[in-house]
Amino acid sequence: MGGIEIRGLCKSYEVEGRKLPVLTGIDLRIPEKRITVVLGRSGCGKTTLLRLTGGLEQADAGEIRFAGSHRTAFVFQEPRLMPWLDVRKNILFGLRGRERRESGERVEEILRVVGLERFEKAYPSQLSGGMMQRVALARALAYRPSFIMMDEPFAALDHFTREQMQKELLRVQQAENCSILFVTHSIDEALLLGHKIVIIEKGRVKKEYGIGEAGEERNLLEDRFIGLKRDIIRHLEEESGSAVSIDEQEGTRDRLGGFL
Amino acid sequence: MSRLKRFLPPLAGILLILAVWYGICRMELFSAYVLPPPGKVLDSFRKMWLSGEIFEDVAISMARVFRGFFIAFVLAFILGMARAVLPAAGPYFEYLVQFFRNVPPLSMIPLLILWCGIGETTKTVIIVLASFFPMYLNIVKGFTGCDRKLMEVGDMFGYGRGEKFLKIVLPYASADILVGMRIGLGYSWRAIIGAEMVAASTGLGHMILFAQQMSRTDKVIVGILVIGAVGYVTDRLFGLAISRLLKGTYENGWD
Repeated sequence: MGGIEIRGLCKSYEVEGRKLPVLTGIDLRIPEKRITVVLGRSGCGKTTLLRLTGGLEQADAGEIRFAGSHRTAFVFQEPRLMPWLDVRKNILFGLRGRERRESGERVEEILRVVGLERFEKAYPSQLSGGMMQRVALARALAYRPSFIMMDEPFAALDHFTREQMQKELLRVQQAENCSILFVTHSIDEALLLGHKIVIIEKGRVKKEYGIGEAGEERNLLEDRFIGLKRDIIRHLEEESGSAVSIDEQEGTRDRLGGFL
Repeated sequence: MSRLKRFLPPLAGILLILAVWYGICRMELFSAYVLPPPGKVLDSFRKMWLSGEIFEDVAISMARVFRGFFIAFVLAFILGMARAVLPAAGPYFEYLVQFFRNVPPLSMIPLLILWCGIGETTKTVIIVLASFFPMYLNIVKGFTGCDRKLMEVGDMFGYGRGEKFLKIVLPYASADILVGMRIGLGYSWRAIIGAEMVAASTGLGHMILFAQQMSRTDKVIVGILVIGAVGYVTDRLFGLAISRLLKGTYENGWD
């Protein structure tokens, strides 16, 4: 079995001398060649989970096991482009040596995918926020990763660009057959993209859903998705304040979907 | 038309000063020794230009500036990089640097003459002392102020320390480094004139002091005007080169 196995992941931060637990034991399997969406309120530990998985920070306890070799890319919440490089050079930032020299055609294609063909010579300061975020996505794609981590990458985009980018992401994921760990706070986005949706609450996995196979078109107005959305909202809402015992949490964990 | 409009206000300012200067001289409020009329200054300038002596002095002063400036830049870059690459090395020299930063280079002249004589070494050391600190401070600021978030991008693509330095830290710091160089160049230019007035037999500073001793106030004024003009032109050229180098990727508010 490929994918990524996360077990008992814990992480806390020191804030003004006080220990602030963020993750309190995450158990999660991220399936290979699928999109796993992590959903949760602000401050529930989504970004921390992503940073630990990407190796940007060290966990206090627990382990993250990658099956086989992997090549990871990260799309951050902010574009994080190099202001001294133009769009094309920013996209090539992760590539070195031969990879870089032989990347010509691929960069053209990626530029077309993110809709920035006419801006390859522009500098980040000349682009809008949404365009910069698209460059950041292009930079990750150009790296040909087998595993992409994305931290609310479309949050800053307008409605139509977001829709288009979500479609492109699905298409690219199909074409490249890569695994994606996608963090968002938008339930609709999660339903549109996720093959697996994980709800995180207070530093733990609260519920997992498996929905759909790769490649299917989704219409969020279908009864199935409306029902799912209701269920997700219910889970996200009921937590605030009320203490749910661990047994209860374990009990409600869904095991839907063939590949979970 | 717009070109003319751009040059009109500065030109008006200069003409106004010249007119006041000329007027005061015509009214003979001061003797020609205290304030020589513009015509006389212009005439001296013409003679010095034709004889070539002014170019000689400018060339000598500039050669000194660039030598000292170059040494100071190399030193500042190495120490600044040490602060960034080996943070543990900082405390060994940081306090010494801060101490010497507060010692005006001109106060070192007596010691320097004693140790290095009145040759070129003294002047070079003075320029190094004058231009090292603004460059050092800006280089350290550029290197240590690098955005953590951009460094993480390098981490994600598996860059090592050296690669991150070359591809992220150095370009990130380049704007600060260039600002430091520009300030440093200005400081060197000021310092060399001072040094030449105390201990030299050539250069613009010496020319001014010599003219004063010969009671040639007109030549003193020519010297001041040339110093200002040369300093201004070098600074503008440097600024232009920086804008080219940064290719408009940064908003540089110091034009």
